Amino acid sequence: MSEKFNISFNNEDAGQLVVYVKGEIDIYTSEEFKLKLNEAAELGNGPIIVDCTHLEYIDSTGLGIFVGVFKKLKQKNRNIKIINLKDSIKKLFSITSLDKLFEIK
Amino acid sequence: MEENSISAKDKIELVLPMKPEYVGIARLLVSGVASRIGFDIDEIEDLKVAVSEVCNKLLSQTICNCKSYRIVAMPCSSGMEISFECDNRMLRKIFNDEEDSLSVAIINALMDKVVCFNDDSNKIIVMYKEVKGVM
Repeated sequence: MSEKFNISFNNEDAGQLVVYVKGEIDIYTSEEFKLKLNEAAELGNGPIIVDCTHLEYIDSTGLGIFVGVFKKLKQKNRNIKIINLKDSIKKLFSITSLDKLFEIK
Repeated sequence: MEENSISAKDKIELVLPMKPEYVGIARLLVSGVASRIGFDIDEIEDLKVAVSEVCNKLLSQTICNCKSYRIVAMPCSSGMEISFECDNRMLRKIFNDEEDSLSVAIINALMDKVVCFNDDSNKIIVMYKEVKGVM
């Protein structure tokens, strides 16, 4: 696993899956992010919460992966919520209007 | 000790292999130079993302056999100019407004000016960002 990026998930909260993302999501780490996020999306039936407290960087490669997983989950009537984004990353969601697609807290 | 002597004639160049593992180095270059010029932390984040977006697009090009590309960061009178160069002149108009809508939206929002080249020069894109303080 890249030292610049880490992703883990916790399926213990009843009904919801929390995914913890840490580090940088760029063209180099995005495949790993995509793999793991999709893996998480296969688990359970409830909403997914992506905790970005320790997410330091993301660009369009990562945003595109979020969109892909959103579409997948929507087909199964599941939600994805993104929490604890840094202001600079919230700004990217706003610039790309993805803040209208995702529930962001 | 010398006072800050950053000059608008200074050029900081980096040649990177066409590999995704080095895009982070491009971000380090830009953030280091931007910090010296006097950009604040939010502006530096903007620069990092914009630079990465261009690097990502260059790496996704399959029409040429470029092994490397050059990033040139240059302080200018009001901020910083960042240009991307490649010796292979097949790399022109790398962004497609429809396919690359996320990247294009991001770069245009974060940078003050973006110029794409379609001539015989080595330059592909030049981006400018102004610093809020006086240099």
